[in-house]
Amino acid sequence: MNAKRRVRYVAQLLDQIGLEGERVAMANISSAMGAQFAELVTDTTERLRELGPSPLKET
Amino acid sequence: MIVGEQKPLDEVMELLGDARKVLLAGCGTCVTVCFAGGEKEVGILASQLRMRSKLEGHAMEVDEVTVQRQCEWEFIDPLASRLKDYDVVLSLACGIGIQGMNERFPSTITLPGVNTTFLGIPEKQGVWEERCQACGDCILAVTAGICPIARCSKQLLNGPCGGSQNGVCEIDPDTPCAWQLIWDRARELGTVDKLLEIQKPKDWSKSRDGGPRKIVREDLVLIDEQTGD
Ligand code: SF4
Ligand code: SF4
Repeated sequence: MNAKRRVRYVAQLLDQIGLEGERVAMANISSAMGAQFAELVTDTTERLRELGPSPLKET
Repeated sequence: MIVGEQKPLDEVMELLGDARKVLLAGCGTCVTVCFAGGEKEVGILASQLRMRSKLEGHAMEVDEVTVQRQCEWEFIDPLASRLKDYDVVLSLACGIGIQGMNERFPSTITLPGVNTTFLGIPEKQGVWEERCQACGDCILAVTAGICPIARCSKQLLNGPCGGSQNGVCEIDPDTPCAWQLIWDRARELGTVDKLLEIQKPKDWSKSRDGGPRKIVREDLVLIDEQTGD
């Protein structure tokens, strides 16, 4: 619960900066949920790929 | 304690304008306890400013410092030699600390990064509530230890008003009626008779209405040995 609210806060800090808040997320998954975990990682990877690398990264 | 909250990042960016070298100055006392301007908040805001300014194409250099109290000369004096290195200081202290910096270092601009809001108490973690308006003539002995100046929306001295419903103030269902609290506690303490005496209008000249206030304790003031003053 607390961690989730803090992640929300960090997302908001990123939004204020002008970086996409979706870059940070949290999910609750048990060790028995292998398929869901895989799906989540795939989705996250896709989302991050769409957002592209951090614009702050030196090229 | 003094309670405040950080200004929104957009406003801070606007205040900083073209500044390139910024000293972000926190305070280790009240604003640390209310999570508005302590060392941790200085760190977070400094990172935000660096990243945002870089994204906007005019990277700012932001240094961080937190002193124990920005409202006392001895704690801010050690900053003196560093200030010439900066275009501007952004202070995360309360309004007193921010003015302390401006008064002590008149050739440096110190900008406010915090909105100082009230004198209050951390009611529980993450929630702060107003408790005192520094009226200069405390009446808590009459009002069962609960302040109607800070906590009654109309600052009534003889309450409650007709807007008190089920313990709640008419201005907002989340605001307890201060006078309900006062009566409840007085009943518990057996001091209701004090509330039945009509309170005369308050002498507001001891509050802000009398202009800026000052306390002088002759027994504490240091005498200048040279001038004898
Ligand atoms: S009566 Fe005045 S001094 Fe006392 S708590 Fe209320 S505002 Fe503060
Ligand atoms: S409802 Fe209570 S707190 Fe609100 S204005 Fe009336 S007396 Fe004051």
